[in-house]
Amino acid sequence: MPFTFTMTPADVELLMPEILMTGLLSVILFLDFLFPRIEKTTLAWLSIAGMGGIFVLLADYFIEDRHGTLFREMYIVDPMAIFFKAFILGTTILVFLASMDYLKKVPVFRGEYYFLGLLAALGMMLMASVNDLLSMFITLEFSTFSFYILVAYLRDDAQSNEAGLKYFILGVFAAGLLAFGISLLYGETGSILFTDFAKMHAHLTPGLIIGFLLIFVALGFKVGAVPFHAWVPDIYQGAPTPVTAFLSIAPKAATFAILLRIFMATVGDIKGDWVWLVVGISAISMTYGNIVAIAQKNIKRLLAYSGIAQIGNVLIGLAAASKMGGDSVLFYFLTYLFANVGAFAVVIIFSNLTNSDALEDYDGLSRRSPLLAFALLIFFLSLAGVPPLAGFIGKLYVFAAAMNEGLVALVVIGGINIVISMYYYLVVIKRVYINMPKENTPIPVSFPMRLVLFTTVGGVLFLGIYPKAFIEISVAATNLFGRMI
Amino acid sequence: MTDHILSIILFAPFVGVVLLLFIPNEKPLLVRTVAVIAGLVPTLASFYLLYHYDSAAGGYQFTEQYVWSKDLGISFFLGVDGISIPLVLASSILLFTGVFISWHIEDRAKEFYAFLLILAAATIGVYVSLDLFFLYFFYEMSVLPMYVLLGIWGSHTKGYLEMADKQKRDSVGFIFNFGSNSKEYAAMKLTLFLSAGAVVALIAILIIYATSGLHTFNIVELQAHGHVPKHLHDILFLLIFFGFASIAPIWPLHSWSPVGHAAAPAAVSMLHAGVLMKLGHFSIIRVGYTLFPEATREWMPLAAILCIFSIVYGGLVAYFQRDTKYVIGYSSSSHMGYVFLGMASLNVISMTGAVLYMFAHALATGMLFAIAGYVYDQTHTRDIPSLGGLSAKMPFIAGIFIVAVAASFGLPLTVNFIGELMILVGSWNIYPVQTIIAVLGIGLTLAYLFRMMRGVFYGPMDPHYAHVHDASPFVDRLPLLVMAATSIYFGLFPSQFIHVIQAGVTPLIAAIEGAQQLSQIGGPF
Repeated sequence: MPFTFTMTPADVELLMPEILMTGLLSVILFLDFLFPRIEKTTLAWLSIAGMGGIFVLLADYFIEDRHGTLFREMYIVDPMAIFFKAFILGTTILVFLASMDYLKKVPVFRGEYYFLGLLAALGMMLMASVNDLLSMFITLEFSTFSFYILVAYLRDDAQSNEAGLKYFILGVFAAGLLAFGISLLYGETGSILFTDFAKMHAHLTPGLIIGFLLIFVALGFKVGAVPFHAWVPDIYQGAPTPVTAFLSIAPKAATFAILLRIFMATVGDIKGDWVWLVVGISAISMTYGNIVAIAQKNIKRLLAYSGIAQIGNVLIGLAAASKMGGDSVLFYFLTYLFANVGAFAVVIIFSNLTNSDALEDYDGLSRRSPLLAFALLIFFLSLAGVPPLAGFIGKLYVFAAAMNEGLVALVVIGGINIVISMYYYLVVIKRVYINMPKENTPIPVSFPMRLVLFTTVGGVLFLGIYPKAFIEISVAATNLFGRMI
Repeated sequence: MTDHILSIILFAPFVGVVLLLFIPNEKPLLVRTVAVIAGLVPTLASFYLLYHYDSAAGGYQFTEQYVWSKDLGISFFLGVDGISIPLVLASSILLFTGVFISWHIEDRAKEFYAFLLILAAATIGVYVSLDLFFLYFFYEMSVLPMYVLLGIWGSHTKGYLEMADKQKRDSVGFIFNFGSNSKEYAAMKLTLFLSAGAVVALIAILIIYATSGLHTFNIVELQAHGHVPKHLHDILFLLIFFGFASIAPIWPLHSWSPVGHAAAPAAVSMLHAGVLMKLGHFSIIRVGYTLFPEATREWMPLAAILCIFSIVYGGLVAYFQRDTKYVIGYSSSSHMGYVFLGMASLNVISMTGAVLYMFAHALATGMLFAIAGYVYDQTHTRDIPSLGGLSAKMPFIAGIFIVAVAASFGLPLTVNFIGELMILVGSWNIYPVQTIIAVLGIGLTLAYLFRMMRGVFYGPMDPHYAHVHDASPFVDRLPLLVMAATSIYFGLFPSQFIHVIQAGVTPLIAAIEGAQQLSQIGGPF
């Protein structure tokens, strides 16, 4: 097959967000390089402004319902891809805002931080558009590569270095599995396109089964589902906290874009063969994450285990494997974004002053900073799934989707997990509101941090009280994709 | 205005919360004024509901409906019938009086009032929701403020503070420092218990949603056109019954309740025993009775058996308590058994009595908790044997206490009497054995309340308490007088109430009786 490269202006337009993103990160890199004395927060604000612009462009694409494929269908732009791209940009903006104060602790390479963050974001934006095995591998490694560096960013901190190394070794191992899975699928089918697999809904050969399983394992590693979660707690704890916040949400969302495409669009019509796998992983992830979280004494580790459990909840939506299931996954990520980034923002503010992530140091936070305590209350209750907060609607949405597909047992397990998770979230709230503080120094909250807190608290409340608009966005995002199922 | 009266009742407290957020804690009087207004508005509006509900027409009135999410089939659908109006009224009155009862709270008063308002508003939200989603939404929302209210402003129970350090260490709970009688323990136990119950009910609600074929949470539509498969009715009814009965609290799911009452600050105990517990009965009626009349017929006899355990067990345990709040807490558990008896008899008289009794109990128990709280504020103890003779020092409080006791065991002239009588008359033909035991239970109520009255207000006074004084003229007396007056007023003139309640109960009973004729006679009981 002769390779002819043709790109029409319309194709370029479809790629425009990524092209602009590449431009933006080049500008940031060169500014930092050419003007070493430039204030690093300027770079941050510049990146945020740039990403804000791209965000608006994506919103416009979404409203206009742009879609199409590029590069011989290897790259797809549809509402769902646009949704995830915008989601990743939004996360990156919040994370950059939350990073400014924290980075004052880092002695060198503060400018490169933003460059690497943008690079990771670009990788994840590409992941959202993946429509074949090769681009899946490349984009996945592309984004993970920046994270390897970001996780180990605190050069003098042994924990950060350890976390970076661990993440690297395990990540490379997962990449190996992914590559092996890809080669098996290609060997069996002679194709790398998801759309081709969808057409070949014939019988499953052992090669195909092992191939899909390996890919699932590798993607399960990226989202941190049990039993591929071993890296999560250590890396969450060791990484610089803004990076942890980033890592805890953006790559997972991007990976879910791929998971949704593979599971629902590609092998959706043999749902009966794989649904038990997702059900099992989901149930184990929720239960394990929540039970182990009870015993944590470090808030970052607590959030790590809670994150494992939350991924279990998202997987309920995937297990439903219906249009509604897809919607619920998207919506759940929105609710999770605000609550989780918000919770990490509180951790960042707190540790900037106290240099501690130990839960016992959170005693009496409400007397030291009513704002932080209130925000943490809102975020934790949202993560626990209490109305009128976002998390409740998210949980209800995935439960309803699964119930519609008859997955009663999974919903029961999810329900039990709500109660388990409530325990450890409430224990932290008890510390914050009821216990007496050991010291009384008030905790200052800087302007960018306030911005993050107000956005996330506002988001959690808004999504909980009046989510109509966002539910409609989620539903619209999977429209094209719904037709494939 | 009257088109949106339910919204006004529901949102007035929430508006109060938002206003409170902008008021600094340094302005205590303003904080309390906002809270008073946020409680007064729903109270007045609820009285309006009671007198303007058209009992002849019946059904759901004052309805408001807005589409909340079309994709999920959720509408914000408010409406009241004869069953919910008394409970809305009780919630509003207890909120209004509770604001005054908590007047002297100093620590983070603004936050206290905010959470109290959320608690009351969420409770009202359950009573006025005609959409399963919002019913659950407000139900779960009412549980969480309890955690904070108990945890921050509550008090340790059963002499936790007097325990030696070693004892405290021995009673430390799982992993974290929850001494078994501490307020934190009570708060956590309450929250987890009620959340677990809520989740059970949620699963039932989702099954209804998924199987009804309507893609809606709207109760009215589900009742009219839903076709949940017949074989699921029994299991769904049981899930709903036990899910919601845990808050009611029916024996053996009651253990969170006395601890929770005892640990809570007075106003919270009032709301908790007065209206939060009734969420259980109400939700069983609203969801279970309305959607599954046939299963109701088959399974409510089970409640008639369990309620006897509630009545007798609660009463006996109450008799042997030393802590005033434990006495009232167990007495509430016991009295909720009467409501279940009335509900289980499934006829118009007993059901009307049950609903009326819920209202009456809210007022009586509200007074009892308010007084127990006042006495605790003054003497810093709730230990009955160490108290005594306080009537000399606080004649007003002692007087109201007598009214409250009279109301609690159902003396004629109080509304409790009418409710209790209707329950007993209605159930006599159906469950004679249970009715006899329930009547004996009234004697038990008398016994433990008189014992508490004697222990606290009469007999020799410990000179230690010479400094205590009676309720201050306005702030402390007003709420007690409001509750006592309402209780006696409706005891004398219950007819409006009974008409309204009957308008709500009659169609339910008719549906259940109709279902009985269709189904085969005889069930598991």
